[in-house]
Amino acid sequence: MALSVVSKQSSLHRQRRKTGFLFSLPALGLVGAFLGIPIYQALYFSMTKWDGIIAEWIGPSTYINQFKSPIFWRVIENNALLLLAVPVAIILPMGIAYVLNDKIAGWKIFRTIYFLPTAISWVVIGMVAMRFFAQEGLLNDLLKGIGLGFIKTDLLSSERGALLAVGITFIWSMVGTNSIIFLTGMATLDISLYEAARMDGASSFRIFRSITLPQLKRFIQFSFIITVISAFTALFTLIFVMTGGGPGFGTTTLEFFVYQSAFSRGNFGTGAMLGVILFFIMAILGSAQLLLVRNKE
Amino acid sequence: MKRLSFGKSFTFLLMCLLAFIMLYPFAFMINTSFKSKAQFFGAPGHSLLSWQKVFTALPVGRQLINSTIVCAGAILIILAVSSLAGFALAKLTFRLSPIFFLGIVGAMLIPLQSIIIPAYINASHLHLLTGYWGAILLYSALGTPFATFLMTSYFRGLPDDLIEAAVVDGLSYTAVFRKIALPLAIPALVTIVVLQFIQIWDDLLVGLLFLQNQDYRTITVGLGALAAGRTTDIPVLMAGSIISAIPAIIVYLIFQKQLVNGLTAGIGK
Repeated sequence: MALSVVSKQSSLHRQRRKTGFLFSLPALGLVGAFLGIPIYQALYFSMTKWDGIIAEWIGPSTYINQFKSPIFWRVIENNALLLLAVPVAIILPMGIAYVLNDKIAGWKIFRTIYFLPTAISWVVIGMVAMRFFAQEGLLNDLLKGIGLGFIKTDLLSSERGALLAVGITFIWSMVGTNSIIFLTGMATLDISLYEAARMDGASSFRIFRSITLPQLKRFIQFSFIITVISAFTALFTLIFVMTGGGPGFGTTTLEFFVYQSAFSRGNFGTGAMLGVILFFIMAILGSAQLLLVRNKE
Repeated sequence: MKRLSFGKSFTFLLMCLLAFIMLYPFAFMINTSFKSKAQFFGAPGHSLLSWQKVFTALPVGRQLINSTIVCAGAILIILAVSSLAGFALAKLTFRLSPIFFLGIVGAMLIPLQSIIIPAYINASHLHLLTGYWGAILLYSALGTPFATFLMTSYFRGLPDDLIEAAVVDGLSYTAVFRKIALPLAIPALVTIVVLQFIQIWDDLLVGLLFLQNQDYRTITVGLGALAAGRTTDIPVLMAGSIISAIPAIIVYLIFQKQLVNGLTAGIGK
């Protein structure tokens, strides 16, 4: 009797393990076939000269040659400059969330409006942004409207200007996402600490710095990761529509350079290599972030 | 007291200004779409000309259907594989399940641009670029890691006793999944649908490369191609933009809460 209970138990356990294995196979297979295998292929093809049909093995020297190319460093510089938008795309939403969290009149409507760009395609955002920054565009109309007509901007026609325009558009579309993250974070704050601090006569700024900020650490980290990942990997469409990577290489970022090398120039090997470099940059940033979090805890 | 209310109205005005900045592009889009090309360049008045022209510049109906097919196909696959895997990895653990979890969820870290070239060549060898399947499968693979992460965390919240009791009563694990776990997971499934719908509907890169046949293009790809073709007819582009954006905006307005849940799910405890 006891034996049959045990054997029924163990047969159940076996059944459970077997079902678990079978249930997780489709997801693993799908991810493996379309993401896992291609990342290994990318590593291999990155060391070849490849036109998409015939790949000729060259070796790791492809990387050395790329690192010697001034265009490559120009592209990396563009990525680095775009990172300057990250602090703005975090601090501004933090202030917005702080205000909305005070439940000012109409805060729910404001929240819906600020978060709206999340639903809009970069194609649409890029098209409007292009009109906004153009020489006969809205920005100049606006400047004229407030009496600053003598500052006639033409951001999209200069390399740095175009990058600035891309950066501003990027911030515009990240504001909502990060505001929502901080708003979620502020909803978890411990209110009793505030009351105690106010009783002790602490100033608003002091309360924000000493109580709000430390409690929000986790959310700041999260929004930082999301914003950096977006800066490196989510701007292809915006650049494709707004500037096409130009003028010159003015707005060509690493992710755009991948596409350009492979699909405009037919250098699939170079494209694969740039993709691998992007992968490693993201992996290094990711593990640095993880290490920082671990060390502090 | 007076100073406080001054501060409050100042903040309120600031928030209004910000709302104006966020909404301005939409106002511009709507206003511009109701102009002809000449009116856009300064002639007075409004017209419906651009709304007529957009239907010849873009096969709007066809492309909306394509977007729907691609979204629906990919979302169904993501829901199926991620709910199965999430249930298995949370409740039916086996020796390799930590490795499986890492393999599936860890793929979130792979940027699309890092795999797109080999994936494109593979799909072309398998003749997946001429129909919908190449795009549907790649979107599915891209959505599965996060969806599996979400489903695994969700199913971890289910009490073990609930499952074990049902199994002792004679239900198979498959039946437990179908009859007990899945109905309880509907909020998580809705979050995945909303998140993926917006992501796939709005995507350009995958569609641009994996939907080679013009007749299979989604509305976003059609619009992106039209815009990159340096069309000078801005009002027509704006009319197209509005058409392409409306479905995602409607989903956003209805399911805002689920979208926020999905976005903040990665923060953890």
